[in-house]
Amino acid sequence: MKKLSILGLALLLFGCQEEGVLTQTPNSTTLNPNATLRYFGDFYPTAGIQVEGGVRIYQTPGGFQLELNGFSISSGPDLKVYLSQADTPSNFVNLGNLTGQTVYSIPNAVNLSNYSHVLIHCQQYNHLFAIAPLQEN
Amino acid sequence: MKKVISIVAMIVPLLMAQGQGCSDAGICSVGKSFENDSLVFKNSLEWGSQYAKGDADVSYVAHFLSYTKRFNARFAFSAKVTLSTATGSFGTRTQFGDAILVGNYHFRPQKKQHWSALLGLKFPFTASNLKINGFSLPLDYQSSLGTIDAFLGVNWRVQRWDFNTVWQIPLVNLNKNSYFREYGGTNDFVSTNLFERQPDALVKVSYTQPIPNSRWSIKPNLIAIYHLGEDSFENIFGQREKIQGSSGLTVNANVNINYVFNTSHQIDLALASPFVVRDVRPDGLTRSLVINLVYQYSF
Repeated sequence: MKKLSILGLALLLFGCQEEGVLTQTPNSTTLNPNATLRYFGDFYPTAGIQVEGGVRIYQTPGGFQLELNGFSISSGPDLKVYLSQADTPSNFVNLGNLTGQTVYSIPNAVNLSNYSHVLIHCQQYNHLFAIAPLQEN
Repeated sequence: MKKVISIVAMIVPLLMAQGQGCSDAGICSVGKSFENDSLVFKNSLEWGSQYAKGDADVSYVAHFLSYTKRFNARFAFSAKVTLSTATGSFGTRTQFGDAILVGNYHFRPQKKQHWSALLGLKFPFTASNLKINGFSLPLDYQSSLGTIDAFLGVNWRVQRWDFNTVWQIPLVNLNKNSYFREYGGTNDFVSTNLFERQPDALVKVSYTQPIPNSRWSIKPNLIAIYHLGEDSFENIFGQREKIQGSSGLTVNANVNINYVFNTSHQIDLALASPFVVRDVRPDGLTRSLVINLVYQYSF
């Protein structure tokens, strides 16, 4: 009986895990209507990953914005959008989590001419999912 | 009983103070293993529940389940599992925190003093990267710091005084937190992307005062924790950056009120609050008020 009680208690504990509802309003970015297209590219996947769509980088009066265009990708944990100086995540700018949002602001400190790729990268398991080489418009 | 009420009345205003306090990253409670040296029973189970107020608007409800096995007069071993719910402006997140395994060795008691030592390990159940709807959360909302830690400690008991010192050393960093202040929508929390933390050293002094002709005892204590270095994180450019002001001293005032039902059952109420704090608390160990209730069953 004692053992059963302990087991029951343990099961009760394991049943307590919960992911609630997000109540904080995340920084949401929308594409500036006065944006001018500067760079674009199409994603290709790494082994075992499926990806569709491309990326466009626009210049706006307030800075640069990155838009994922017609984009979908295999699900993965902890996916990030990187602006990268190569097709591997070595020198990069982490633009944040890959969520439902499609537009990401690029920090003003970034010299865009130094960045040649956009990557979708799983940070937690250090696994590259997709690569988009950038071309100047 | 009147004395107990008087002391509680003195402590409560102190608990209203704001600041940084002890959470249960492990170090605050690991020394408790020293205190239970009853030889009447070989086993004990503890269930603890805690309410705490943290930084910004975060509040916590945490629970633990602990089992202690006394092999003989010298050796004891305890295993503990924690579960924590954090609630604040980001929402609510509940998850298991850590498993903590501690071995105690009690040296042969001398006349009025008694030495013991502990060695422990803490294993995280998460990589400290819990999210809500894919949105990264600061460490204040994480149930574990995401490190495998070692605990090394010594206790010296002389009459009613206890002096503990414990060193908590992160051995393996599994922390994969991905919170950036830049993308968080608030300035309440610092960036902790791929957080790396430094060791802590704890010194605890306590005095046990039994209430005459009653089952009550009261134990006021001071817990000083020194965070031995600046923590760091990886910024949005992939470069590691130290978090200035994250090292330093925290001092907590704590009081334990204990009631013994009989040889098998007892409860312990602990109230704690800090009055010396670090400048920056990236690890989310920001409790300004902790109320902890523990029930112990020995068999």
